Amino acid sequence: MSERVLLTGNQAIARGFWEAGGVVASSYPGSPTVEIMESLKDYADIHAHWAMNEKVALEIAIGGSFAGARSLVSMKHVGMNIAADPFMTFTQIRTHGGFVLVVGDDPGLSSSQNEQDSRYFAQFANCALLEPSNAQEAKDFVGIALGISEQYGMPVMLRLTSTLCHSRSTVALSERTEPAIAGFTPDQTRYCMLPPYANAQQYFMRERIAKLAAEAASLALDVYEDTGRRDVLFITSGLPYQCLRELDLGYSVYKLGLCYPLPISRLKEIAAAYAHVIVIEELMPFIETQLKAEGLAVQGKQYFPFTGELTTDRIREGLERAQILLASQLPVVVDPAVPKRTPMLCAGCPHRPVFHLLQKAKATVVGDIGCYSLGILEPFEVLKTNLSMGASLGIIQGMAMAQQTAHKAQPLVSVIGDGTFFHSGLSGFADIAKTKHNITVIVLDNRTTAMTGGQETPTTGDLGTATHTISIADVLGSLGIGDVTVADQFDYSSTKTVVLGAMKRDGLSVVIVTRPCALNFRIKEPHFYVDREICISCRACIGVNCPPISMKVYEGQSKKNSYIDPHMCVGCSVCSQVCPVKAIKRAEAREEEKA
Amino acid sequence: MTTNILIAGVGGQGLVLTTRIIGSVASRAGFDVKTSDVIGLAQRGGMVWGSVRFGEAVHSPLIPKGTGDFLLGLEELEGLRWAGLMKPASTVVMSRTIIFPNRVLIEKEEYPEDIPAALTSLGLRVACVDAGSVAEKLGNLRLANTVLLGALSVYLPFPEGLWLDVLRASVPAHTVELNQAAFREGTRSPLTFNL
Repeated sequence: MSERVLLTGNQAIARGFWEAGGVVASSYPGSPTVEIMESLKDYADIHAHWAMNEKVALEIAIGGSFAGARSLVSMKHVGMNIAADPFMTFTQIRTHGGFVLVVGDDPGLSSSQNEQDSRYFAQFANCALLEPSNAQEAKDFVGIALGISEQYGMPVMLRLTSTLCHSRSTVALSERTEPAIAGFTPDQTRYCMLPPYANAQQYFMRERIAKLAAEAASLALDVYEDTGRRDVLFITSGLPYQCLRELDLGYSVYKLGLCYPLPISRLKEIAAAYAHVIVIEELMPFIETQLKAEGLAVQGKQYFPFTGELTTDRIREGLERAQILLASQLPVVVDPAVPKRTPMLCAGCPHRPVFHLLQKAKATVVGDIGCYSLGILEPFEVLKTNLSMGASLGIIQGMAMAQQTAHKAQPLVSVIGDGTFFHSGLSGFADIAKTKHNITVIVLDNRTTAMTGGQETPTTGDLGTATHTISIADVLGSLGIGDVTVADQFDYSSTKTVVLGAMKRDGLSVVIVTRPCALNFRIKEPHFYVDREICISCRACIGVNCPPISMKVYEGQSKKNSYIDPHMCVGCSVCSQVCPVKAIKRAEAREEEKA
Repeated sequence: MTTNILIAGVGGQGLVLTTRIIGSVASRAGFDVKTSDVIGLAQRGGMVWGSVRFGEAVHSPLIPKGTGDFLLGLEELEGLRWAGLMKPASTVVMSRTIIFPNRVLIEKEEYPEDIPAALTSLGLRVACVDAGSVAEKLGNLRLANTVLLGALSVYLPFPEGLWLDVLRASVPAHTVELNQAAFREGTRSPLTFNL
């Protein structure tokens, strides 16, 4: 018997790629799929590469496939938008080495800026789409996907969702199948996508999808559970299948593994035997719409939400709306009303003083994607827009143009981190370099991709394992940007002077702030404490919004003074610098070192 | 029969490892297991939760409303937040840890008073553990979750040796003995507020 272990969906994907003889894997970090690449790095036989963005990651995997190696690229759903350009052309090519694209959707937007249903990309790109429903299938489907890819000459997309990526279930392991890598054989008719070669491929893409649809049943990717009842058939896929099983309803279920192309003739044949066919799928009616287009009388989204996770509870509620189930009579515990707990910048986060001074300056700030997106929230509320990776640099230019024409020109500020700078900020900077508008860009160079768990960036340098470092100041200089100042934001007043000065100058000014991420690099200095005799309860320190700082009534006092939790404080000093009466002082040693 | 455990805490408290340890113990005890936990934006001091479900056959990792058997609260407010997921008269094992959420820090909301009593009045059994103090006495605040696991283990059908084995495999090598000591302290320290 093979070994059985608990794996997350992400770990299972990595294991499946290794077992299937995978060779080249690339990714850009983004929740929920970060852990796939982190797990792949544990397998010495695989080139496991963090790329600068999803487009480059996809291209690396394409190169691996061109050279005949089984290749994988993984990304979060919005990464698919970055990678769409090479993908939409790559899919025309008859695939050489098996190619699997793993995309993690985020129903409910637990850590994303949109909720797109990436399954449409598979249909758009004429490629196969598999949806696993647990970690075992996640592992197995990688090998199957690579097989389909090689057999039918197409890339295969494997679609996961956040809960599936992060949930653990039992997986039976197998050994690795050693790959035979053919190497690259030049063939311009195959690999050069220009007319007339690309014209011919339009027919090829149609034919391979039709062939796969016709042969889909033989792949045994689907599960048909015929209970004998003929009143209702559920058609479902992915995690909702497992949630539906929880309800143990006794109706027949057809669970799809291959969701594009659908095994239409088999589905028609089966559905004909049922009075009602109900499609249960997360997010958009992707399967439902395809079935309706084929003339099947199915129902679905009129009962189930188009947004958010389709949990067991939500499936039950939908079935109640469909009058298949009676309303639940379970006794319940009353849901208590409690304060929300939104995420906030960590203790010692180097973004904090920057947001604090921008808030005080009442600056209009165009935001970007990273931990610093938290500057949108209370109490800073300083970022006024948030869209997509690197978008701040274009948006700020367009706003400046419109504001000027409207006679409302004002200094505009944007913030961008080092990860985003290299992901998609470089072309934005080349574009904005010679602007005449009053624009200040603050580069928050914390030397890591912090939000996704601290992957290295080209500025990590001696704080990590990187063998080479790229200086953002040098890059900006080579783009012809002359007004660049480097500042240490833990020196609050001088950074404030630098930023406010930059905001007074026309044209592009750039301020690079250089403190590294306190969390990722575990930076801990002796903590600060409040001298209650000096504290005037003005709450200036509360305004910097650091997790250890709160107001409390000290013993024997009647009014509140500020308090710093010594275990949480990492000693960044920002609160002490904004205190108007110097009541916040540094301890000689950290609390845990005193014993 | 499936047993449903909900683990609730604050980003940065080590919830993912805690969830993984419970899941591994249940799996090694021979049960079918599904776990889940949220990762991502919430790590930055936001609310985080995980689930462990074990039984003969478990399909979904998500716990349906009203079916929670045990709630492991790494922090009081987070323990209270999930009460509505629980079965009536089910058990909450909760650390006496209080971490103010942002709106309390900026004085826009009050932190609820006497959360153990609030949970009891909702019809839940509450076992409070001063996990932070126990951990501090053992010399490392990061042992608090292991103390809590010890307290939770009292209610679960797994032998102590299995917990200790899984701890050994899950924590850094130089902290194995400390973690095992913290676990044993936890088994001894629950303070129960009964109905």
